[in-house]
Amino acid sequence: MQNLAPPAPLWRPSGATKIELLASATVALVCVGLIVYPLFFLLAESINVGDPQTFPPKDIGIDNFIDLSLDLTVLLNTAYVAIAATAMAIAAGFVLAWILTRTNVPGKALLERLLEIPFYLTPLVGALAWSILAAPKSGFLNQLLVTVVGVSDLLDIYTPFGIAWVMALFEGTVAFVMISAVMKSMDPSLEESSRVTGAGKLRTLFKITLPLVLPGLLGAIVFVFAEMLGSFAAALVLGLPGRFFVVTTAIWQYTLSYPPEYGKASALGLALFGVMFATLSFYRWMVRRGTFATISGKAFQPRPIDMGRARYGLAAICWLYVFVAVILPIAALLLTSCLRFATVIVDQMSFTLQNYETALTLDAVRSALTNSLELGIGVATVGVFVMAVLVWIIYRSRLPGRGAVEYVVMFPQSVPRMVFGLALLTAWLNIPIPLYGTLWVLAIAYFTVLMPLGVRTLSGVVLQIDKSLEECAQVCGATWAYRMRTIAVPLLRPGLVAAWLLIFIASVREIGVSIYLMGPNSKVIAPAIVSSWSSAGTELTAAMAMIQTAAVLLAVLLLLSVTAKFFKGA
Amino acid sequence: MRRRILGLVGAASIFGLVAGNGQAQNAVCPSPNEVAGFRTCANIAKAEQEGKLVIYSTDVEQGQAKIVAAFSASFPKIKPTYVRALSASLYAKLQSERQAGQYLADLVNVDVVLANDFLKKNGYARYVSPQMAAFRSEFKSKPEGYFTWAQLAVAAIAYNPRLLAADQAPKAWGDILNPKYAGTMNVKSSNSGVQHFVWYTVREVMGKDFWKSLASQKPKAFDSYVQQYDRIVNGEDKIVIGAQYSGYLEFKAKGAPLDFIFPDQGVPASPQVWGVIDKAPNPEAARLFLDWFLSPIGQKVMQEALFLNSPRDDAVPPPGGVAASQHKLLFPSDWDGFLGSKREFNTEWDRITGLR
Repeated sequence: MQNLAPPAPLWRPSGATKIELLASATVALVCVGLIVYPLFFLLAESINVGDPQTFPPKDIGIDNFIDLSLDLTVLLNTAYVAIAATAMAIAAGFVLAWILTRTNVPGKALLERLLEIPFYLTPLVGALAWSILAAPKSGFLNQLLVTVVGVSDLLDIYTPFGIAWVMALFEGTVAFVMISAVMKSMDPSLEESSRVTGAGKLRTLFKITLPLVLPGLLGAIVFVFAEMLGSFAAALVLGLPGRFFVVTTAIWQYTLSYPPEYGKASALGLALFGVMFATLSFYRWMVRRGTFATISGKAFQPRPIDMGRARYGLAAICWLYVFVAVILPIAALLLTSCLRFATVIVDQMSFTLQNYETALTLDAVRSALTNSLELGIGVATVGVFVMAVLVWIIYRSRLPGRGAVEYVVMFPQSVPRMVFGLALLTAWLNIPIPLYGTLWVLAIAYFTVLMPLGVRTLSGVVLQIDKSLEECAQVCGATWAYRMRTIAVPLLRPGLVAAWLLIFIASVREIGVSIYLMGPNSKVIAPAIVSSWSSAGTELTAAMAMIQTAAVLLAVLLLLSVTAKFFKGA
Repeated sequence: MRRRILGLVGAASIFGLVAGNGQAQNAVCPSPNEVAGFRTCANIAKAEQEGKLVIYSTDVEQGQAKIVAAFSASFPKIKPTYVRALSASLYAKLQSERQAGQYLADLVNVDVVLANDFLKKNGYARYVSPQMAAFRSEFKSKPEGYFTWAQLAVAAIAYNPRLLAADQAPKAWGDILNPKYAGTMNVKSSNSGVQHFVWYTVREVMGKDFWKSLASQKPKAFDSYVQQYDRIVNGEDKIVIGAQYSGYLEFKAKGAPLDFIFPDQGVPASPQVWGVIDKAPNPEAARLFLDWFLSPIGQKVMQEALFLNSPRDDAVPPPGGVAASQHKLLFPSDWDGFLGSKREFNTEWDRITGLR
């Protein structure tokens, strides 16, 4: 007891030394700088009403923002699709996460791995697969329905609901991963107490489980909603045939046209920032008005709820999801990748492996895939530790301005990735360090835009760890570093592993900033697949997508086996 | 046809006006060397010493890969890489890089409007390839050596005969306004240089309101001919308007059910323009590639890889197709008007296709 530490000054993180404080402030400043620097270019571009390719702008005005009224339909379309997709993704993510983490459903480990697969796929892949499955005239499912029911054009994926469906299936998987991470860290004794006192399983779910995972759930909602607002691939593949534009596809058109309408695209992107700012403020208000700590000093052993025979029904729900989100689309892609030209009309089908041969001769597959995997591993490994420190700064330290730090690091999530990519392009082109055209600039860009993902994933877990654990160690004289190593990191382990995987996968499938920043010697796979879709044909794109999916799955399996020990302890 | 050619001569004079402003004149080579079956003025030893070549191209990925592979087979010491994108985004990328003082690309291939803009901005390095003698003067910048039309994308109408009987298919440009085709047609988006060219040249023949009338037919817009053909092969649409002949040949070679219509009024032939970039990091390799690409050997490789027509006077037809000279080609009669019409086109076309 002689080692009692003196009370920490208010401006200092609890018990942190000056060096620790300086290190924290440096991390926060660097991360904030990475975002604020391109933000300056984004703001400048949005008020540029002159030559869009002149920087700094010569003619300044607010015409680009006034022009937004012309895009009202586009904004409403975006809101509809984002809300519908978020609702579907969160509902599915919550149910699946609860089944797989809190019940004794059979085949849990396998299902969990299979449910993560849609997240490993480039978003375009899902959209492409579902366009093959449910195009009104030629979709496999519609062809099947014509044969079975005798009705044609029953399903139409080229609708706003179809876009939201695909977005929820393939971009909403992150909700499942994020909610699962939180549920895994939850003390089951609280649920058990509820059951012991006579509450039913559903009542326990809604009265105990749901409130306990609220911060993680809210974090997932905020994150998924932002993802959906900035979603591009599904709207591109499925929206254009129905002449349905959302913000990202409108921006795509604006930036592709000549002269490029960068100002208008920036203004449109910044308009979404208002929506996201309000959402994030709501999230912060929710998590700060109550305590959500579920991991305390008391040891616990996660114990699933025995669902009796109902567990088979729950397993069926998971398998149905796997069938719709994994098996069906991958089968459709595999078949298409083996056709000389994409068709669902059986007598037109001509099979070949030529597409794989062609794909493997392309730079877009060979060097791009290696580059993507290298970037994914590098960014995830460095990113997860830096982001863990950031989360600690935001939620556990008393560093002045930590609230502002959170707002700033979430910014890249608040504007469509493509718009932020444009800002990063201008920013890194105009910096007097020769990084443009190298993998380094992509690594920095990925780290910058994936900060919200890492911070949101880790914060859900951090908020569950009772501060008393750290305070207890502090009282016993443990230094900040010792406390981080022996208390915070082990407890954060499931969250760290989940965050690592999320960042790795998000890096490999990144499109929005890669489109602008990749150079002739720094190609990456996801934009190459988009480019292939728009110019090389469905069958070759399907082959490229299959190669990418196989490579990513192999990489993940390899990494999981290497870190098996780490997982075991998680 | 004479009217169109005169239009081209007019265009060449426009290019001449903007190109003659003090660029280096020493790029003309009096005694080219014969190497690997073609003539070049590039310093091959220097090119091999550079060892690299970066091409910014609009050609489809798999076609571009075949082209650089063929070049590499002749010059294994030079490793070509490429960046592939749609014309406008590729050009915007190039311009952004140059504006920031970053010079990564050696050669660029864009549509004729952007090429003209690049020329105005002194973006090209002058190099008079010995191969340019085989190209008509109206297919080159004036003075020659800044850029050359190296590919022609002939575009008209295509349909799926399994979905539309030949007697039901449109025969002329005016037929596409028939309400019976409403909701069954697709076009390219306003990002496409070929679509801009088609819009302008057909409008000259059919009248200013022709395309505006197409809006009521609700055509769907796509970025690439591949997507357009995919949809009619699959039955999602029946007719491609502004269909690239090269795409028709490519899909036909795979066995896809397609027919192509050459309307009597003529077919637009949109040029793809190539040139060596000013301040290219690998200038000798760029010159060598340009010579090879414009030569009969390179043009043959290009036609086999992309099915596009070659603008060379002595060009052979693309595989399965006919030479450009066999078609009644449409070119802008007023090149000034065409080059200045991009904004008008963007706005009108986005309205027609439902973006605005």
